[in-house]
Amino acid sequence: MGYASVKNRLRALFSSSAAEADPEALRESFRRRYQNFRSLLTANNNALETMADMEQTLSQGQPFGMSLVRGYSTAVSVNVYKMIRNLEVISEGRYKGLDDSFRNISEKMEAILARQPHVPEGRLVAPLSEVDKGDADLVGDKMANLGEVLNAVGLRVPNGFVITAAATLEFMKANGLQDEINRLLKQMDIDDLENLYSTSAHIQQLISNAPVPGELEAAIHEQYRRLATADRPEPLVSMRSSAMEEDRSNASFAGQYRTQLNVNEDFILQTYKDIVASKYQSQAIIYRNQRGFRHQDVVMCVGCMVMVDAVVSGVMFSRAPRNPHSLWVEINAAPGTAAQVVSGSVGTDFYRVGRDSPHEAAAETVSDGSPVLQADQLAALAAIAVRLEQHFGVPQDIEWSIDREGDVNILQSRPLAQPAEPEPDAVEVPEACGPDVILSGGLTASTGVASGEVFAVHSSVDLLEFPAGAVLVVENSLPAWASLLNRACAVISEEGHVATHLAIVAREFGLPAIFGIKGALSELVNGETVTVDAAARCIYRGRNEVALARAEPPRNLMADSPVYHLLEEILSLVTPLNLTDPGSPYFKSSYCWTLHDVTRFCHEKAVSEMFAFGERARFDERSAKQLGGEIPFQWWVIDLDDGLREGFDVRSKYVFVEDIVSEPMQAIWEGMTAKPWLGPPPVSVKGFGSILFRSTMNPSLEPAVGKSLGTRNYFLISKNFCNLSMRLGYHFTLVEAYLGSHVTENYVSFQFRGGAADRSRRFVRVFLLRDILERYGFRVEVKQDALTARIEKKGKDELLQGLKVLGYLLIHTRQIDMVMGQEEMVSHYRQMITADLDQMLGRGETGS
Amino acid sequence: MPDENISILLIDDEVDFLDITKKRLVRRGFEVKTAMSCVEGVSALEDASIDVVVLDVMLPDIDGIQCLKQIRRQFPAQAVILLTGHASMETGLESLECGASDYCLKPVEFEELVDRIEIVYRDAKA
Repeated sequence: MGYASVKNRLRALFSSSAAEADPEALRESFRRRYQNFRSLLTANNNALETMADMEQTLSQGQPFGMSLVRGYSTAVSVNVYKMIRNLEVISEGRYKGLDDSFRNISEKMEAILARQPHVPEGRLVAPLSEVDKGDADLVGDKMANLGEVLNAVGLRVPNGFVITAAATLEFMKANGLQDEINRLLKQMDIDDLENLYSTSAHIQQLISNAPVPGELEAAIHEQYRRLATADRPEPLVSMRSSAMEEDRSNASFAGQYRTQLNVNEDFILQTYKDIVASKYQSQAIIYRNQRGFRHQDVVMCVGCMVMVDAVVSGVMFSRAPRNPHSLWVEINAAPGTAAQVVSGSVGTDFYRVGRDSPHEAAAETVSDGSPVLQADQLAALAAIAVRLEQHFGVPQDIEWSIDREGDVNILQSRPLAQPAEPEPDAVEVPEACGPDVILSGGLTASTGVASGEVFAVHSSVDLLEFPAGAVLVVENSLPAWASLLNRACAVISEEGHVATHLAIVAREFGLPAIFGIKGALSELVNGETVTVDAAARCIYRGRNEVALARAEPPRNLMADSPVYHLLEEILSLVTPLNLTDPGSPYFKSSYCWTLHDVTRFCHEKAVSEMFAFGERARFDERSAKQLGGEIPFQWWVIDLDDGLREGFDVRSKYVFVEDIVSEPMQAIWEGMTAKPWLGPPPVSVKGFGSILFRSTMNPSLEPAVGKSLGTRNYFLISKNFCNLSMRLGYHFTLVEAYLGSHVTENYVSFQFRGGAADRSRRFVRVFLLRDILERYGFRVEVKQDALTARIEKKGKDELLQGLKVLGYLLIHTRQIDMVMGQEEMVSHYRQMITADLDQMLGRGETGS
Repeated sequence: MPDENISILLIDDEVDFLDITKKRLVRRGFEVKTAMSCVEGVSALEDASIDVVVLDVMLPDIDGIQCLKQIRRQFPAQAVILLTGHASMETGLESLECGASDYCLKPVEFEELVDRIEIVYRDAKA
């Protein structure tokens, strides 16, 4: 440990101030330091706990929003700031450079949190004929892709224009809407459905009721009039959302926003506002939260296109949605407009057509009498699908309409949301479904197995009652039901098919979904537990463990999302630890690059200041005393406050175990002495020639090794506190604990590093330690051969037990890395240690 | 729980939070006064000495930081815990710079709030 180095000690001795000569003043000065030391420990504890939570949040994959990221950032920085202020008092302002380091880090964090989306500058409106892929920042992904289809691929797209992101930002700004919306969103509890729906409705109303600025209004009308032709002087238009970040292959935003068909000029402005408002539909808020998008990063653009006089419309996938290697184009089609197909409100025909010319149809399922598409139309559509896939470089999900002239119009082309690995074809129904089957059939809209209670939703009133973890049963696969997909465990729909927006979102969320399964609403009873096996297209009574065994672990929807990356970026300023060695010349405040570095630095210096006080102030009460008596090894004790019994003679150079009233130290000591140490394990001399190791073969030689290679072993104690640092041989160990009457302040922490054996054997020991510590309730982190373990905010009994475990391990796991190459020895030690510990803690012979 | 009764002033404009928190703190043996604005809070401090003020960051009259500054100007040794539903690094750090004893994020578990009040009280008295 650096604080015990000769240099530090000498410096400490010569830096005592005259003001501290008077014993009363010394006591007062020490009392103030000790109080700050205690606060520093609490803040350190809280900061480390928050850091662990942050890392866990990132790795777990549960959805989280910006409010959580802001909360974490605030909690961790507030605690680190407290530590700096505490250290300032303890050290009498010795570490001035810390403020600069901290400010530097926290300003970077604040800049990340406050980062605004790239605000596109440009036209308020843009004709589709002038738009391509490069304009996504201005016109949104959907319209940029469509402009590309028109202008770069040369396919037929209805005439139209886009109301741009610049226009929407202008509209929001002119009405001062964004601040109010942010305020409402921050107050909203996303897990409270009623609160979610009412906030969503309130925000949408604000937007829909705000006036459109005059300049924008004029520009929109001017663009509309340019759409007029001789035979259609006042064309009806379709208006579609085209949000930034929409239509990326890893996040579809399918059906999250509004589309309006057959709009005439009088309603264009209102429809525009309604579509902008639809950014805050409840399902869209949920979707962004689940997929890790910041609301502020999504800016709504609106596409406005002349209505196609559609005879037949549909959706096609250039490859099967669950299989990236598929050889087929899949086409869903129905008479009328494409919007009906994707909303799941009509029955559709399904075709599977070859990707290669002559694009022959391999399969078809017709919903109503005769097929709506003929062979030549199927071939033309398939050719278009393949051409678009080739142009964009990834499989495409395409909406199209065939007009009265027989021309194919492309209404949308976006990357197809796909799993990384192809999924197996559906299991054949008869074999797969056992006797407990309630219903079978339909289509696998999204594969997977899940079990939960049935809850049927007929209307938006039922939405509010939907219990978390239930199986959602609906008649139609409407996009609005997507607002329940973060609560549902599976989705069953009597109507609908795999191309509906609800199916796309279910696949993204990894929820099993069976669509088009007749009789679901009448056969499935609310409250009844069922198992949905989507691949087999079966619904079983009760929990079907055989089917559930095939369920896959939940996928990490957050990974790779903007909010995930933002937390990652914040974490890079928080958790990495660069200051690991207090003896290094780089252990300085100016080398604190992260908040973890700052906490490490503050903690180290605070302990060191408390340690040096007695010596520096020539203050008997606070100077180190050797632990006397028949005890193994040599130990020194420094009393910080009330760690020694009343009446103890502070001038004494020795202290005995019975003088100690520090509860954490007693617990450690109890663990250390519960079983006699048998010495290092028997090892063949071959394989190492270390003088060090030979000297440690004899336990009585150990103190000499300690002196020559490291420093003494110190206990810094008070009644509630103990900090034990040991450097024995090549091991470095730190145990620290505070156990007071306030659970928030309580913790035990343990750091362990080093060993004389080669890396792999040291790793084996660290893993052995980890397993044992986790068994006794520690949260353990291993980085290479260094281990940290913590228990926080728990009651006294649990912490005392943890300390006994640590005390035992301090003594009994030394040097065993030498034999960690032998598997039978590892398991021997594991058994011996857990048996000893269980016996010591009175757990009985439970084994592991 | 210390022997003496700790007196607390809760300043918050959320009626539900005030009512519930007051009831629960009283049940735990604290003396509790409430105020719904900074002005009300300051006048309560003028009337009687309070051990720990628990202050919400969003108040109807002025923001919590301004209120904290006002309280610390008039009562330099007053222990104040700031409480907020909208975490912000900026206000968190600013409140500590302005002398807040602690900065706490809502929702805070009741037991933790009690702990924090007692710790702030203990440190202020020490």
